[in-house]
Amino acid sequence: MNTFFQRHRLGTPLVLGLALLLITILSLTGSAGLQRTVTEMLIRMVMVVGLFIFVGHSGVMSFGHMAFVGIGAYGVAWTTMEPSMKLMMLPGLHKMLQQADLPWVVATVLGALLAAFVALLVGSVIMRLSGIAASIATFSLLAIFNVVYSNWDSVTGGASSIVGIPTSVESWQALAFAVVAIVLAHLHSISRYGLGLRSVREEPVAAQSCGINAWRQLLVAFVLSAFVCGLGGGLDAQFLGVVNPDAYYLSRTFTCLTMLVIGGSASLSGAVTGVVVLSALIELLVRFEAGVSIGAITIHLPTGSQEIVVGVVMVLMLIRRPAGLMRGRDWSWPTRSSPAKANLKAPLSN
Amino acid sequence: MNLLEIHDLNVRYGGITALHKLSLTIKAGETVMVTGPNGAGKSTLLKTIAGLVKPQHGSVVFDGQLITGCAPETIAAAGFSMVPEGRQVFNSLTVLENLRVGTGMRRNKLAVAADLDYVMDVFPVLGERALSQAGMLSGGQQQMLVIGRGLMTAPRLLVIDEPSLGLAPLVTDQVYEALMRLRVERDLTLLIVEQSASRAVMTGGRMVMLREGRIVLEGDPRELTAHQMQQAYFGYEDEPATESTQ
Amino acid sequence: MTATLQYLFDALSLGSLYALGALGIALIFGVMRLVNFAHGDVMTFAIFILIAPTTEAVAPLWVGAWSTPLLVLTVLVAGAALSIVSEWLVFRHLRHATPATTMMASFALGFVLQNTLLVLHSSRPKAVNLWPTLSMPMNLWGARVPGLQMLMISITMLLLIGLAWMLKRSRVGLEMRVAAENFDMARMLGVKANRVILVAFGLSGTLAALIGLLMVSQTGLVDIRMGGPMMLVAFVATVIGGLGSLGGAVLGGFLIGAVSTALQAWLPLEARAFRDAFVYLAVIFLLLWRPDGLFVTSAVRQRV
Repeated sequence: MNTFFQRHRLGTPLVLGLALLLITILSLTGSAGLQRTVTEMLIRMVMVVGLFIFVGHSGVMSFGHMAFVGIGAYGVAWTTMEPSMKLMMLPGLHKMLQQADLPWVVATVLGALLAAFVALLVGSVIMRLSGIAASIATFSLLAIFNVVYSNWDSVTGGASSIVGIPTSVESWQALAFAVVAIVLAHLHSISRYGLGLRSVREEPVAAQSCGINAWRQLLVAFVLSAFVCGLGGGLDAQFLGVVNPDAYYLSRTFTCLTMLVIGGSASLSGAVTGVVVLSALIELLVRFEAGVSIGAITIHLPTGSQEIVVGVVMVLMLIRRPAGLMRGRDWSWPTRSSPAKANLKAPLSN
Repeated sequence: MNLLEIHDLNVRYGGITALHKLSLTIKAGETVMVTGPNGAGKSTLLKTIAGLVKPQHGSVVFDGQLITGCAPETIAAAGFSMVPEGRQVFNSLTVLENLRVGTGMRRNKLAVAADLDYVMDVFPVLGERALSQAGMLSGGQQQMLVIGRGLMTAPRLLVIDEPSLGLAPLVTDQVYEALMRLRVERDLTLLIVEQSASRAVMTGGRMVMLREGRIVLEGDPRELTAHQMQQAYFGYEDEPATESTQ
Repeated sequence: MTATLQYLFDALSLGSLYALGALGIALIFGVMRLVNFAHGDVMTFAIFILIAPTTEAVAPLWVGAWSTPLLVLTVLVAGAALSIVSEWLVFRHLRHATPATTMMASFALGFVLQNTLLVLHSSRPKAVNLWPTLSMPMNLWGARVPGLQMLMISITMLLLIGLAWMLKRSRVGLEMRVAAENFDMARMLGVKANRVILVAFGLSGTLAALIGLLMVSQTGLVDIRMGGPMMLVAFVATVIGGLGSLGGAVLGGFLIGAVSTALQAWLPLEARAFRDAFVYLAVIFLLLWRPDGLFVTSAVRQRV
């Protein structure tokens, strides 16, 4: 049975999308705090899926993707804030931007396009490097972003936060974009670009002899992943209403990479699962940091222990199960006939 | 006495079984030639003995000690020395430094110096180019270097994987001449993996033929017929003998 | 002329710090193909033993109050010990993992270390006044050079010479070189894997602690984030020097020190804050020209 559905493995994005829909609906029955947590999770989902598009297919660990998230976030700040506020806080902004007041979807997409453009420029250089050198280069990308955005006071407000971004994003908006991200990632994965990149990762010489240009495959994935990460940034800005360069630096990088690796960086389901599982864990730890009473005892973890626990979990995971929870496999739509397992090999476990 | 005893060795790489319940015994002073087609498991066998690959099942006993699962450096210290496929000289080191790598675990410095002189005697080119970078030597010279290097650990069993690989026949002759000399003068037990079955026949000793992870033929090559060897090599030993192909 | 001399010393002393950092990274990369993102945090952790753990703004000195030789020795040993423990706990179990996995693991380790310091000391920078006499300038051919700079440069030179000698002449050095070139083959010749790796990590940790001491003397502050910028430069220096080449890493460190100082001198005032961004930009251009770094070693070369 070779239906359109099976050939394009639509089962996976369908299952993932439905699962997220379910979580969103459930959250709406809960407290406002729960809804915020779920919205945050969905926004993280966009970022991590973006990260997966590059890391998952290339096997190259990237530490710089939060730069693209940040570019998207600031892009949105520039195009959705009230012009009069911009005049006051960001005097160096170009007149066209300063007067811009775009609808939130347009702003988000534009911010993501800016991130993609930067990725195109930077990626054409970085992707020539060997895997390890490329990873180090992505680190410097993150550093450059942080330095530039922390010091370009007239345009970005410098190291202090920009406030006053209209908060147009809540659960449903975040869900919509999470689904969009998943669909984009899936389409890339089954396209000749996704497959081409994976063949480069598995057998670079053989791939080359098939006419596959490693650099181009990497660049396509890099740019697309930057675009999706930029979407995530735009959502983040319009959810919190605040942007700040340090929010898109090492801490966020670590969280997103952890989510990806714990779920399993080789598959889309791994990325999604990782976000859900780790968000739940972090939420639990944060509650414990605030103080949880079990019976007569109150357990109160010191501040900062949440990060330590996550770090330790991450290291243990890498030692025992480097392929992550999903081990490179995908959730798929259950069929009555014997299912062909989507057998995507895990890069991190070689 | 038995220097090396291999019992029921099972080695898998992912889904592929490289060695099936392989058993082999080598007595001290013997020369054993392991032959067989590509993918037969010859290199896997050697790597397992050397400690680079851990078997799923089975045991390897060397000089009375159980060495299965031990670290390669422990096995080397027990008197086992392997010269791997493709020579693998340390390119950035000089010839002399290459030779010295294996001497760290030896206490007797006088014996080390004596061994060095001996190696230079067997392979004069090493003495001539002692301070050259090892990466600059020719293929044959590098092969001699790695054999010398393997000797410097004062082994009782010397294992060589494909000594003739990539070498001209004349050069291979020189290498084998040296090996035969070593066998006698150093009282070495030799285990040589050699794709060329005819070379195995020429060298003498005992021949062990592997195919698909199993031993399919074992014996003195002078007593085995060419027909037998062909059958085993290509896998027809189960079929009835057709018209003679001698 | 004196201004140029001043800049020369600035570049050399900054380059020394970067070179030492790059060396620490390159040592571990050479034997284990591991990029140790926790290196900067090992440095910071070793330095923080100078003060007692407290979340107050002013921290009482702990090791920092001891006599100079004891202080230096303790901090250096702390760095080495921490580095070795991290190998034993984490990296030993990842000997056969992919580079992506090990990088992520070292990143996570660094994160854990930094946050542990956060819990113990809070994120506030604390003042530590180590050797105030070192900041007194010396008069060298007309240039006024702080004694500390001279110390940095001389220590680095001595260390580099010593390390080069050790690598070339000693047994340990030989084993490290062969382990870096072909680890498995070295083991088959009796080289003890664990010992070589231990030495590499111990040396690396000691170097990290040394850099930390120099930095603290210079800035008078300890901050849980102080490892970051230093180590980032160290990584970049290792890359432009060529992964796997110790000499290249050192050269890369000095190169970045020189470029950084030059930019500081020549950039217009408004652009000074972006100096670091320009340095990385320069690195990117260098990589455009030589993607594998200045010295190509067998570490990166691919064999078909």
